[in-house]
Amino acid sequence: MPMLSVHNVEKSFGGIKALDGCSLEIRKGAIVGIIGPNGAGKTTLFRIISGFEKPDSGTIVFNGEDIGGAASFEIARKGLIRTFQIPKALTKLTVEENLLLAPQFQYGERIWNVWLRPKDVKRQEAENIKKAHALLEFLGLLHLKHEYAGALSGGQKKLLEIARALMVDPKMLLLDEPFAGVNPTLALRILEWLKELRDRDNENDGITIMVIEHDMPKLMQLSDYIYVLNKGKVIASGAPEEVRANERVVEAYLGGA
Amino acid sequence: MNFANFAHGDFLALGAYLTFVFSAILGVHFIPASAIAVVITAFIAVCCDYAIWKPMREKSAGSLTLIIISIGLALFLRNLIIFLWGPDIKRYDLPVKRGIELGSVVITQNQIFVIMVAVICMFLVHYLLKRTTIGKAMRALSDNIDLAKASGIDVDRVIRYTWAIGMALAAVGGILYGLITNINPNMGWFMLLPMFAAVILGGIGSPYGAMVGGVVIGLAQELSTAILPTEYKQAVAFFILIVVLFIRPRGILGS
Amino acid sequence: MIEIGIEIEYLPYIITVLLIASIYAIFSLGLNLEWGFTGLVNFGHVAFLAIGAYTTVLLNLSGVPLILSVIAGVALAGLCGGLLGIPTLKLREDYLAIVTIGFAEIIRFFLLNEEWLTRGPMGVHVSSRPFEELIPGDYNFFLFPFVLGVLVICYLLLEKLVKSPWGRVLKSIREDEDVPASLGKNVFSYKIQALVLGSMIAGFAGSLLAFYLQYINPRNFMPIETFYAWIAVVLGGSGNNRGTILGAFILWAFFSGTRFAQGYLPFSPTQMGALRILFIGLLLILIMMFKPEGLLGKKEELTLTK
Repeated sequence: MPMLSVHNVEKSFGGIKALDGCSLEIRKGAIVGIIGPNGAGKTTLFRIISGFEKPDSGTIVFNGEDIGGAASFEIARKGLIRTFQIPKALTKLTVEENLLLAPQFQYGERIWNVWLRPKDVKRQEAENIKKAHALLEFLGLLHLKHEYAGALSGGQKKLLEIARALMVDPKMLLLDEPFAGVNPTLALRILEWLKELRDRDNENDGITIMVIEHDMPKLMQLSDYIYVLNKGKVIASGAPEEVRANERVVEAYLGGA
Repeated sequence: MNFANFAHGDFLALGAYLTFVFSAILGVHFIPASAIAVVITAFIAVCCDYAIWKPMREKSAGSLTLIIISIGLALFLRNLIIFLWGPDIKRYDLPVKRGIELGSVVITQNQIFVIMVAVICMFLVHYLLKRTTIGKAMRALSDNIDLAKASGIDVDRVIRYTWAIGMALAAVGGILYGLITNINPNMGWFMLLPMFAAVILGGIGSPYGAMVGGVVIGLAQELSTAILPTEYKQAVAFFILIVVLFIRPRGILGS
Repeated sequence: MIEIGIEIEYLPYIITVLLIASIYAIFSLGLNLEWGFTGLVNFGHVAFLAIGAYTTVLLNLSGVPLILSVIAGVALAGLCGGLLGIPTLKLREDYLAIVTIGFAEIIRFFLLNEEWLTRGPMGVHVSSRPFEELIPGDYNFFLFPFVLGVLVICYLLLEKLVKSPWGRVLKSIREDEDVPASLGKNVFSYKIQALVLGSMIAGFAGSLLAFYLQYINPRNFMPIETFYAWIAVVLGGSGNNRGTILGAFILWAFFSGTRFAQGYLPFSPTQMGALRILFIGLLLILIMMFKPEGLLGKKEELTLTK
């Protein structure tokens, strides 16, 4: 059973078809890249999968459940977490608070628990802080934990967003241009780290990743499989080498120009 | 600018009071007095743009901040009116003319005048938006502000015009309202909810929707007085608003 | 002898001002939860003050024990807050402002017109007040510390909440609700919770206000009351509970100051009243334009661009 399968999804905005019968399948534990020229419908596809936009037609099945038309928070609760192209770090919260926001179903998210079970809330918060610090340490952001996220650079905000998504312990990640603005050495480290997350020995823990990226060399290096989108449709797919050799892909990128 | 302007009703009252000052106190004939009042109201609106809205645009303030400022402006204007001219009901001292009988209904000449001016205003707005450069620029701006900027439209100028025209229309509304009933400092406040209900019912950003919405809300309010105390006119507008929000929040003509 | 006499007369006055300021501080804390922490614009906060006050007084008058009457007032205020949130909080941000401002007016018209229930403009007398029979002398000397205690408890409970994971979700909604939504938080539910809790606090402030006033009528619940709370919140610093309390006390210090100034200015009482509200409006504009973080708020924590 695939982790995510998108079947024949259509979406138009005011007569313009952003997605025109888009279908793809992602196997559990895979790292799948999505490429395509500007306006190919990549970000729209992400918005629809993550519930920020409703599809006009078509089905989306995640982990055996139909999620087409579900609210974004419901999809996130099922373990499908996205990041944003323009990073949405919460600039008025500290770096640490940004990460602590993420874990699901915290005791302290209920009013009564805050007042009546302060000990449980505190204990869980302490566990989350430990986890957050470990992530920040790895990303080299630990020294900034008490800074407001608004003070971070664009690249640091991207990192913060990925870290925040990982705080949820997701089954699957949707990363929208995760390397844009991140310095190359760090980007390489993240790349290795994402692979490591996927390859975790316990099979159930391995994360499935779907990633939009313009940095071709990095995407080729990272992905097991690539889908090429153009004009709201999948025009080619395959292993990175195959896609690189595909004429239609070259045409889509260069033909229109 | 795309935010709910809570001071709209108080510009309406301001237009009515300025007309009152020029006609009843200074003795100018009603029509020129109204014209002067409309121009002054539009001028004050443009001043507000320079003093408040333009600086806030430059800070890229969000709609919530603007809403709060607009309610501050509303409180300021309303109480300026009370301070200057008192809290009591005022009337334009116009000679009473004989009404026209249409079967069992008597229509006063004032009412006919009001309907005519209202219709003319609707046509003027239509002409302005469809035919003039500034009107087209306004529509472009309301569609997509970034695209409008990129295509070389002077955004600040267009917004200034929008304020001037919008508040001039509010002033006309206030003057007409004063003509068929009376004027008081709270007239704008009491019209605020019906106005928002009309705009949301019609569909935000759609001038024709607002016209349709205005007529529907106005009629519903007047008809309701047959079964409800007149004090509940507000509640009628409120009820329609809630129903619209539940059933079709985009409004009748909204996209 | 004369000096002592003056002191004795001043003390009840000061106590009264502090008492009113404390009631308004509680009322404003409710708004601060909605606007300051969650970014909800409620322009009809006074409706919940009125609902709390009238429910308490009318139920008590008809024989319901005082404590239950207060609880019913708080609950009804919360229920109304939640009901107003349902059609508005999933839509544009300004719809809540429009709907609440309309609701507050309708509540006031209801209180004015439904004489069978509320006795209309005549108002209703408060039949009993907490521990009234046990308090000798000036009741306000008891009510003030009582209200102050309530204020402190409200403050502590709210501080606990806004510093908890729950409060963190509210702050994330205030800045950009896409983020909590993308992390599995039910944004709508949190907004409703904030609105219900804020309205319940206002309802409780309404009960306390009735105890102080002893006689309530619709004129106690004019739209401007809402904006007293707004001034307290933005002056003190949106999203800062201590700031809100400070703001409420500054506001009432200003009001009692202008009452003394009245004798020296050539204006009628109506004009003075208008000037006072005119000033409130101006202050609201100026703070939002030039010092949106207020007196105690932190610039880094304030969202202006939403």
